[in-house]
Amino acid sequence: MNGWIPVLCVLVPLLGACALPFAGKRSPKIRNALALALVAAAFAFSLASLPAALAGEPLAVRVKLPLGLSFGLVADALAVFMALTSSLVAAVIVIYSFGYVREYDNQNEYYMMVVLFIGAMMGLVHTTNLIFLYMFWELSAVCCWRLIGFYREEIAVARANKAYFVTVAGALVMLAGFLGIYAQTGTFDLEAMKGFPLPAWAVVLILFGILSKSATFPLHSWLPDAGVAPSPVTSLLHAAVLVKIGVFAYARLFVGTFVIPEIFALAVPVIAALSALLSAGLALRANDIKRVIAYSTVSQLAFILLGISSGTEEGFVGGLLYILAHAVAKGGLFLCAGIVEHSVHTKDITKMGGLAKRFPLTAIAFALCAASVMGIPPFSGFFAKYLVIDGMLAAGHPLLAAVFIIGAVMTVLYLARLFAKVFLGPPAFPDAKEGTSGMVASVVALAALALLLGLAINLPGSLAALIWEAM
Amino acid sequence: MSSILNGIPYVFVAAPLFAFILNNAVPRERMRSHAVALSGGVAALQLAAAILGFALLAASGRGEVRFGLFWSVDAAGAAYLRVNLVSLFLLLCVGFVALASALTAAKTIDDHRCSFANLFMALLLGMNGMLLATDLFTLYVFLEITGTASFVLIAMYKSSKGLEGAFKYLTMSALATIMMLTGLALLFMHTGSLAFADLGAAALSGASGEMDILCYGALALLISGFAIKAGAAPFHSWLPDAHQSADTAVSILLSGIVIKIAGAYGFIVLVELFGDLYAVRLSVAALGVATIAFGALLALVQTHFKRIAAYSSVSQVGYILFGIAAGSPLGLVGALLHVFSHAAFKSTLFSGAAALHEQLGTLDIEQMGGLQKNMPVTGFASVTSFLSAAGVPPFAGFWSKLLILISLWQAGWIGLSAAALGLSILTGAYFLRLQKKVFFGPRNPRWDDVKEIGGTIRASQIVLSAVNLGAGLCFPLVLLYLQSIGLI
Repeated sequence: MNGWIPVLCVLVPLLGACALPFAGKRSPKIRNALALALVAAAFAFSLASLPAALAGEPLAVRVKLPLGLSFGLVADALAVFMALTSSLVAAVIVIYSFGYVREYDNQNEYYMMVVLFIGAMMGLVHTTNLIFLYMFWELSAVCCWRLIGFYREEIAVARANKAYFVTVAGALVMLAGFLGIYAQTGTFDLEAMKGFPLPAWAVVLILFGILSKSATFPLHSWLPDAGVAPSPVTSLLHAAVLVKIGVFAYARLFVGTFVIPEIFALAVPVIAALSALLSAGLALRANDIKRVIAYSTVSQLAFILLGISSGTEEGFVGGLLYILAHAVAKGGLFLCAGIVEHSVHTKDITKMGGLAKRFPLTAIAFALCAASVMGIPPFSGFFAKYLVIDGMLAAGHPLLAAVFIIGAVMTVLYLARLFAKVFLGPPAFPDAKEGTSGMVASVVALAALALLLGLAINLPGSLAALIWEAM
Repeated sequence: MSSILNGIPYVFVAAPLFAFILNNAVPRERMRSHAVALSGGVAALQLAAAILGFALLAASGRGEVRFGLFWSVDAAGAAYLRVNLVSLFLLLCVGFVALASALTAAKTIDDHRCSFANLFMALLLGMNGMLLATDLFTLYVFLEITGTASFVLIAMYKSSKGLEGAFKYLTMSALATIMMLTGLALLFMHTGSLAFADLGAAALSGASGEMDILCYGALALLISGFAIKAGAAPFHSWLPDAHQSADTAVSILLSGIVIKIAGAYGFIVLVELFGDLYAVRLSVAALGVATIAFGALLALVQTHFKRIAAYSSVSQVGYILFGIAAGSPLGLVGALLHVFSHAAFKSTLFSGAAALHEQLGTLDIEQMGGLQKNMPVTGFASVTSFLSAAGVPPFAGFWSKLLILISLWQAGWIGLSAAALGLSILTGAYFLRLQKKVFFGPRNPRWDDVKEIGGTIRASQIVLSAVNLGAGLCFPLVLLYLQSIGLI
């Protein structure tokens, strides 16, 4: 057993992150290189555990502890899928950050928190124990708190506190659910509880945590507010990785481990539908470039939740694929928004216009990523959305499928509006500059990835199908 | 090994006593510069002895070590002192906090260093005596020693605030004294003995199986008395005044350990003796809920750094009471571990207060802002302390709270468990506010030239943050150890 690979995958970024401030005191260059290397290491270790996961014999370590606690890391297909997705996007975002945050204070803390967050994410997806799941969950919230408050302005810190408060309150309610399960089973170990029928109240308690973390209505409002953070942070936490924790937990707990009451196969999609429509409407009305994309995230997360909670193979596979597709495309959109906002120093789209001339590559990347989020073939987003809605039909909820098609249409509308307001029309900032080559290369890479993944959708698709079978 | 084990308990009495004598025998002008170091040395010795004693006692499989000072304890019915795993663990906590306090005192105490050392030893002796006692009256006597030393420590610099705080503490403590003495008298009247061995729910109910109303009265008085000492709501009002106005090195002692030994340990004893009575455990739990809620809500609106820390102590004592009230071994372990984790993070927080006071000259959080940049060590230490207090894993405070929650759930108190969980969001809230105003928020240009503190306070902050985090990270090992010695 090569159990050390998942252990390293978690420990290398977690421990390495603590070294970053010291490296930064010596030289910012070494620190930046080390930060990238640590995230890349997480990706490499996940890649190394992929063959075993595909073969159905995941790499694992398990240590039994008293009181039904246990420490375990298992690199099964779901964990590897999530780890690959998050570390890949994170690596691109770290490269982007080199250009974006270079003139600000507190960079040592910034890189430390980004890498620490990736470590927490790696731990979260690999862990086999509810308490350790909670631990990594909270760790990610702490990183999120420091990163949103990066600029240290009154408003930034207040919003950071809000994000922390909402997600931690949700997590505490979830912990109450975990304790309730523990009282009945005497263990926190997920593998030992496989197939345990969960009472409805425990599901509801845990859903609080999931919905708050994945910014789903009615616990979504912290996410648009967190747009005060630097754009790479918004991209990493609030589009690509952190918000996926909630839906991942849904897949891990309610699909992979416990048996939940029938009613939730309807109730959760209904919540998702509400969330999708409401936030799409808000995205149509917002005039802050990052707010539009943030509301869009809330709306797209509802698609993922819908797919994963549908209870059908099509829906589940679609939901997982959309985790990947959305991470890439929405991450790219936020980074594009970052380039624009960094250069023109405003986030108000009514003051922008005609930026396609000044930012040609950014505009193309934005358009490609937007196309993926809209669900236009052959982008990866299309396949994922198609499968999710197909899954809803297979589950026998045509009405909900229709609601989500409306949601998808609204996505097209608000993203097209955003693109037109920012990049088309008469030029508002004739002297704006496009940002460093690293920043532009990052967004182009993500846009290309969004397209490539669509063309080669069978690769992640077969992995997602494998995950469904393993559930 | 056994002879070492038998010798260790004497350290807890002899070390402060000899240090006290030494401190007064050597001429003041020569002792002055060494007095605080001597205090630190005694604390370190106690810490080492307690760790060694705990390991040896756990390995030996004996329940307790009995000893007398100048008398033999072998004769039947002879009075004796004793250490067991619970008291050794608390002695460890006493040594730990005392060491942190001495490290801070090296910087903050300038005048009356010898008097500080004398009182420090008296306080240590009082707390150690409480933990070694095997009857309620001895416990009470040492409690009074602890209290008296605390009053003088608060008042010794004769600031008007300090005198006011000490006076309030003195008044409330006098009330506690009356209650406890009356309670003890009633118990003594009924059972004819105050030794732990002769007390218990069965002893109170006697042959008839019905308990006298006076016994209920006695228990209520004892519970109220200890509640005052612990600063439990609704008897908490003296605590923030006293802890805020004392020198920060003294605040560390008071908040970090004195309220737990003088108050919470009393509850441990009461629940151990009378825990079979549901009413006793329920009243402790009720005090716990009120204390957590009051402490946290009041901490939310304070503007003085140390006052927030003091109200936070009130609130955290509530969790300790919860663990004790559960009445199970797991609950007790959780409560004791929370004593330790609270001792660690509260000492961290007060060391931070000392650093801020030394560097800024004020502790009004409204005037601070963005100090993370100037004082990275203090800022980082205060974050570890916040996260441990708020019960965020993997910090030490999370694990102790988790054990307390589990024990409450197992005791069938699901509502209380939920309340404990829900109220911990308030802890997060007041610490978020503190962080925002002091370290995290926009910078106040007034403090542009402020530098990080150096010396022993900095060292103690680094060590204490390492304990906050390290104890949490190593907690699975702690659990395995506790399982191997059969405690959980």
